[in-house]
Amino acid sequence: MKLLRKEFTKLVSQRRSYVGWGGLLAVPLLMTLAMYLNRNSPHHDNGPGGLITLATHNGLLMPVAAIMILSGFLLPLLASMVGSYQLAGEAETGTLKTWLMHSISRGGVLVSKWGVAVIYVVIGLALVAAGALAAGALAFGLHAHLLTGQTVSTAQGLWLSLLSYLYVLVGVICVLSLALALATFTNSSLTAAIAALVIFIVMNILGAFSYFDFLKPYLFTSHTDAWQNLFSRPIVWHPIITGLIAFAIYIAGLLTVAWYQFRRKDILV
Amino acid sequence: MTMPKDGNDGRSMPQSGDGPPVVLATHGLTKRFGATLAVDNLDLTVRRGDVFGFLGPNGAGKTTTIRMIVGLIYPTSGYAEVLDHQVPRDKLHALRHIGGFVEVPAFYGNMSARRNLRLMGSLNGHIEEKDVDEVLDTVGLRERADSKVGDYSHGMKQRLGIANALINKPELVILDEPTSGLDPQGMKDVRELVRALGQSGTTVFLSSHLLHEVEQVCNRAVIINKGRVVVEGPVSELHPAHSSVKLLTSDQEKARATVAALVGAQQVTDDEEYLIVEAGDGTVREMVKQLVAQGIGVDAVIPAREQGLEDYFLGLTQSADVDADRDEAAAKGGVR
Repeated sequence: MKLLRKEFTKLVSQRRSYVGWGGLLAVPLLMTLAMYLNRNSPHHDNGPGGLITLATHNGLLMPVAAIMILSGFLLPLLASMVGSYQLAGEAETGTLKTWLMHSISRGGVLVSKWGVAVIYVVIGLALVAAGALAAGALAFGLHAHLLTGQTVSTAQGLWLSLLSYLYVLVGVICVLSLALALATFTNSSLTAAIAALVIFIVMNILGAFSYFDFLKPYLFTSHTDAWQNLFSRPIVWHPIITGLIAFAIYIAGLLTVAWYQFRRKDILV
Repeated sequence: MTMPKDGNDGRSMPQSGDGPPVVLATHGLTKRFGATLAVDNLDLTVRRGDVFGFLGPNGAGKTTTIRMIVGLIYPTSGYAEVLDHQVPRDKLHALRHIGGFVEVPAFYGNMSARRNLRLMGSLNGHIEEKDVDEVLDTVGLRERADSKVGDYSHGMKQRLGIANALINKPELVILDEPTSGLDPQGMKDVRELVRALGQSGTTVFLSSHLLHEVEQVCNRAVIINKGRVVVEGPVSELHPAHSSVKLLTSDQEKARATVAALVGAQQVTDDEEYLIVEAGDGTVREMVKQLVAQGIGVDAVIPAREQGLEDYFLGLTQSADVDADRDEAAAKGGVR
């Protein structure tokens, strides 16, 4: 816990942290603005339809619309960055050796670094949600949800939004854990971040071809959009549960790799 | 400058033979990188209160040894022992008693020196603001304590490294080439600081490739080369006692006979118009007295070359330098 607090101190002292958070906050605001200015256009070309189009009638759906756009690229990007920087970035600046020369266990260091990266993403998601909800309410008002013909209460709508955020969070933690695991193999945070992102994108591409369908259940990227089932009526839980299990297996596996590699790693920089 | 107080009183320490308790020892410490043996079966003993010089040319294995002592890298075989804690097995306990840095001290550049010290210091236990002030005073950084470390000069970072080494009042302070890259005044300050630390009872393990530095501040030293101990002992004993003088008299031939009778013929050689006399301490006075007694006018007695640790060291390590360079290159290739 003490280590986690210290890692957080370091995190908030870095300018790059705010760049990421700023980007995450900007997206829902800009998105809402664009949709608001475009609201009377006959074509309603608000990008991907479904939930996003629905959001133009109801600000309550704006957080969900925002996460839909962000979970494809910006969130994984920031997760790779923050996951890799915690270890490899500190190796680059030499502070990792200063840190490890204290009476703290390698395991504790690894877990606290993973933990602070998770906290970074949680704060980022909270900013997205708050920004989207505020902007959406201002632009389109908050109404009861209208989902495929059914209406759900405002409270239930918020609850569903929270659940979808939690699901997205777990998916992003997969990317973050991947970046952290890769960072134990290199002393360059850029290498680890890019490698994690490349793997994420390649997995996405593999998942897009039907030839590779047999691989699909094993790629965590196939499960990243399963939260959208929360908004169908009745809710289809199966893909959500499957996704969470896949994420959990990936996270556990990647952390094990990271731990195994970092535990007795020779810190030469 | 003020000196940190010795906070080591009343703690138990393992005894090994005579003399003060052993604070740091390595036992058959060995590290292999691929085909290269960076540290080869190294046995060291550092006792409480020692200012211990760890000497060797670049690439001799000094930093690798220090990294093993502080648990940053794992030995291929052997282990280090800090007080009664073995590294790497009981690393966390050992590290409670160690302060120091390896190579260039590294800090979080976007934080102030004060915040860095607070952050690092509290990793090894509880520290208070006065502890931070105290070490900042010790290294003379108090006035710049609230500037970002990223804006610090190399010398200031080096001093902050020493402050950070002292923040938890450790029993063993390990400094890896603390004067490297400093200007003459900075070197002098750091050396005085190390000397004062030793006087206050803190055990200091100082790595250096500068022999006169070790001569100035250390009481004991070991010289290593290619990962092996070449020689170990008190600095005064490492230092050869023999010195020579250049002698110019009114009658060199008569003087040669007189001096040869005193110190032995093979100790007297020629250098242009001078006689070179290899003479131990105290012999010079007697020599001059006899020359004068025999009516030989003494024009000049010049201390010629005092064979210091520097030459001694070069003699010990020079022949191995070519090999060491090759090994160093191999080590770099092997690590990547």
